Amino acid sequence: MTQTMRPRARVRARPAPSRKRPGRFLPGLGRFALFALPGLVAYALFVLVPIGMTAYNSLTNLNPFNPPTQFVGLRNYVSLLSDAEFGQALLNTVIITAIITVLANAGGLLIAMLLDRPTKLYVLLRGVFFTPVVLSSVVISVIWQAILTDDGLLNSALRGIGIDEPPGWLSDPDIALYSIAWIMTWQMLGFCVVVYLAGLQGVPRELNEAAAIDGASALQRFRNVTWPMLAPALTINVVMLLITGFKAYDQIRVITNGGPGNGTTVTMAFQVVQTAFVSNRIGYSSALAAVMLAIVAFISVVVLRFLQKREVSQ
Amino acid sequence: MRRTLIFGLATVLAVAGCGVGETTQPESGAPASGGKVELSFLVFETPNLNAAFWDAAIARASAKVPEVTIKKLVTPNIDRTAYAKQLDAAGNLPDILQSVNPAGFAQAGKLAPFTDEELKNFIAPKAGAIGGKVYQLPYNTQVIPVVYYNKDLFTKAGITEPPKTYQELLDISKKLKDGGTTPFVVGGGGADTWADMYPLTGTVATDVYRKTPDWLLKRSQGAVKFTDPDFVAAAKKIEDLAKNEYIDPAGLSRSYADTEQAFRDGKGAMYPMGSWFATAADATKPAFEIGAFPWPSDDGSPVTPVFTGGGTLVSSTAKNVELAKKWALAFDEDKDNNDAFVKADGSIPAIKGYTPPADMGPVYNATVEIYQKGMADGSLFDAFSQEAGDGALPPGLADKAALGVQDLITGKKNAQQFAEFLDDEYAKATQ
Repeated sequence: MTQTMRPRARVRARPAPSRKRPGRFLPGLGRFALFALPGLVAYALFVLVPIGMTAYNSLTNLNPFNPPTQFVGLRNYVSLLSDAEFGQALLNTVIITAIITVLANAGGLLIAMLLDRPTKLYVLLRGVFFTPVVLSSVVISVIWQAILTDDGLLNSALRGIGIDEPPGWLSDPDIALYSIAWIMTWQMLGFCVVVYLAGLQGVPRELNEAAAIDGASALQRFRNVTWPMLAPALTINVVMLLITGFKAYDQIRVITNGGPGNGTTVTMAFQVVQTAFVSNRIGYSSALAAVMLAIVAFISVVVLRFLQKREVSQ
Repeated sequence: MRRTLIFGLATVLAVAGCGVGETTQPESGAPASGGKVELSFLVFETPNLNAAFWDAAIARASAKVPEVTIKKLVTPNIDRTAYAKQLDAAGNLPDILQSVNPAGFAQAGKLAPFTDEELKNFIAPKAGAIGGKVYQLPYNTQVIPVVYYNKDLFTKAGITEPPKTYQELLDISKKLKDGGTTPFVVGGGGADTWADMYPLTGTVATDVYRKTPDWLLKRSQGAVKFTDPDFVAAAKKIEDLAKNEYIDPAGLSRSYADTEQAFRDGKGAMYPMGSWFATAADATKPAFEIGAFPWPSDDGSPVTPVFTGGGTLVSSTAKNVELAKKWALAFDEDKDNNDAFVKADGSIPAIKGYTPPADMGPVYNATVEIYQKGMADGSLFDAFSQEAGDGALPPGLADKAALGVQDLITGKKNAQQFAEFLDDEYAKATQ
């Protein structure tokens, strides 16, 4: 049977197209690859090669001010395990990420529901809420520094209403990290609003109307109709906020420089830069960067899969 | 398809290989066509040293070395040393750099040394030498810290004259605090963490360097440690100042500019700061009169912490090292440039035969008087964390020390823990 089939298959498989166009099983792929080549080259140059160099450097004691560079194997990674500053930076990063993920999502959803109306005023308000997203993080940091510093707008207002010793929003080691998390939440709120608004506008009006006719309360309609339909928006927001939280650097650099005190608001990204360009320990900072990359990639993949499964099940 | 992919991969590797492995060779020393060499010059801007200041100073030096044209680069913040490291890591170390700490750069061969002949016009030609060679022009001296004080607040608290001993400083602080005035204005917010260092710089000078002037050099040799009693005692003084609420921790959120403004606004009576504040105080006078005194020692013996150096440096891979050095010398020795530095940044030029403009204000003159008294009585010592040369802190440690001082002030660390922290960080920085 097999032997009789084979010649027929050959006869069918060999006609002219194979001579005219190589790669007949995936027609045109070669051409597409050619178009994709510039992008691939750029990606390789600016992403893959640096990642590879970082991975290599992490296995050395590279310090441009203290040559020669020697291969040290996994010593940098072993040192990381007992590095209290790395532990603190990781904890700070997780706290910031958790706060902005929860608050920006909750706030964004609430505001999106309030703004989900077709009048001009609400369209204008959408623009207002989105403004912080398009502003540079440095600009936002300078604005919030002016608000939160000891002599800033907030404390001046608090003193004005009789609070003589207002909190040190940026100078109290127990508060500064949360101030940073709040600033980042404020910055990302507009992004969540826009994504949720897009999600809300995709919820068929008939579903809500049918549920209302069936006697569902507003809360029940939200829980059983609107919220499940917002699953893709939630996925986008959570993943974006996770990534934003894990790469937090600009705000810390401008507002606290990692202080007050040693490590209070240091995040992983900040520690990578400080270790490389202040302490000159590029080998060690490369190990930090590699671990940061692994952690972010792992968490992003796990969360993404979980949320996508949730989308399917909804 | 396979060929296409192989071609693509080969292209990627080839291009990547070129990019990564490429080493920049210094260009020929000959001036480019048109007889001019373009050299990059890294500067930093502060409220005192703004863009107009640098542009004018550059123009004056370039007029003296017409074969050079300068491409000005400005650091994104005041931490020019960290920025220079970033540029260096990317293979773009500027040809000429202003006031970057040479530690690390010099040892790695990235800077060109100046010869004795080139340094003949400087008062302290060997200041900041590394292995016997000078890589940064020792063009000026700064007293760090000077304690500037608000004479009105002193008078209001019944204080008639500045303190001469440390105990008197504490007594004055108590009087001020009891009268509802914060004794010290100390900052260090945002990227300006360094601004919190000056009280400690004062106590290290009086308690450590006075006994052992080359203490930091000894630390590099392992002969002393931060946990030794003298250094811990110096740190304990800061811990106690904060515990007694003579320093307000809320000030740690203030940037350098905000800290200066807080002093101007009368939010504290004393402002331990580098001598560069003097001309700013004279140029924009606050509503009160400002006085100045050196940080006092326990027994009242004079101790004047200073830093001499801080001038221009030249990259060893500059497009034309000799021309770059010639331009750097023109920049640092020019009388008008030094006058401008004096007027804008309160510097005390360390150039032979230089005299400051006659119309300098009272705060600057009071500052120079402190320095000249220190010179006369032989009480000049290094300013901790500001040192350059063989006796400098390892790269990055000054930043760590500034963060540690914040912990001292907020009570997160006591003096002993602060000293242990510095020893740990010292070990990491010299690994």
